[in-house]
Amino acid sequence: MSIDIAIHKTHRQFAGGAERVSVEGKTVGQCLDRLIQQYPQMKAILFDRKGRIKNTIEIYVNMESAYPDELKKPVKNGDVIHIALMLAGG
Amino acid sequence: MLTDSEKKRYGRQILMEEIREGGQEKLKSACILVAGAGGIGSTVLNCLAAAGIGRIRILDCDTVEMSNLNRQILHWQKDIGRKKADSASEKLQALNPDIDVEVMHATISRDNILDLASGVDGVVDAMDNMPARYILNEAAVKMHIPFFHGAVHGFEGRAMTVLPGKTACLRCLYRGPVEREIFPVLGTAPAMIGAIQACEVIKYLVGAGRLLTDRMLTIDGLTMTASEFKIHRNPNCEHCASPR
Repeated sequence: MSIDIAIHKTHRQFAGGAERVSVEGKTVGQCLDRLIQQYPQMKAILFDRKGRIKNTIEIYVNMESAYPDELKKPVKNGDVIHIALMLAGG
Repeated sequence: MLTDSEKKRYGRQILMEEIREGGQEKLKSACILVAGAGGIGSTVLNCLAAAGIGRIRILDCDTVEMSNLNRQILHWQKDIGRKKADSASEKLQALNPDIDVEVMHATISRDNILDLASGVDGVVDAMDNMPARYILNEAAVKMHIPFFHGAVHGFEGRAMTVLPGKTACLRCLYRGPVEREIFPVLGTAPAMIGAIQACEVIKYLVGAGRLLTDRMLTIDGLTMTASEFKIHRNPNCEHCASPR
C-alpha cells in the first residue's frame, strides 16, 4: 500500500527537497498525517491554526480535484496526491 | 463584412479552416473585456488586438511603475506614471487602428462590475488578486458570459475557461479568503498564460476546438511541463450552484 504525494516546488524546502514522498494511508488525511510525521514543517504549510487546510492549498487525487472534504477522500495503492498552490498573480 | 484591408491583415489566420472569413467576421463583431492591463493583460490584449477582436474594453485602475516593466510588455519606460489602460490603449491602436479600444479606469467592486462588463461577449481575468477575480467570476456567471481565468507566480501559471451554467467556475474551488501578496514573477509566465487565454477567447468566438473547461491547465516554466487537473462543479458553489 503506497501512495505518492507530489510536493509543490515552493514547499519542497520543507520536505527535504523531495518532489515526491511515498506514504501509506487509506484517506488523503491519513496520507498527509504520514507526510507531516516525516516532515513536521509541512504541517504549518498545509494547515491553519484550527487544523483546516489553508485557503491557498489545493489537493488533487490522480489529477482530479478532491475538493471539498479532501481529507476524507479515500485513496488506494498507486494513487498520486498532488499538493498544488493557488496562484493569484497577474 | 470584411474590408479588403482586413482580408489582407488577417490573411494568414483566414487561411485556417477553423477561422476562414466567417470566423474573422465573428471576431470583428465581438466585444471582450480584459480586466487588468498588467503582465497577463499585456499579452492577452496584444494577441486579441492583433487577431482583430472588433471591440476591446480595457479595465485597470493602476499606473505604470518601474517594477512593472520586467513583464508588462505593453508598457515602456516612457509610460511610467501613466494610467495603464491609457498606455495599453495607445499601443493597441497603433498596432491595429481597425479595432475599437475602450478604456475604463476603475477599481472593480461588486457594485460596479455589472456596469463595467455590460455588453461584452466575454471576460478575461488578468487581475493580480483573488478578491477581484471572484468578483469578475460572479459577474460572468450572472451575465451568462464566458470567463477566461489566468494566474501566475514565479515560473508557473495556470488557466481555465468557465462557461457559466455548464462548467465549473473559479468559485467552485473556493475555500475562503486569501491575502493579497506581492508575488514573484518572471515575464515569461504571464506571456505564456496570456497567450493561452487569448487562444481560448478566439476559439470560443469562432466555435472551434476544445475549451479549457472543467480542467485547470498548469504550466511550470522551470521544468517546462504542463499538467491538467480535472475540476468538478461544486453543487454548493456560492456563484454557480443552481438555486434549490
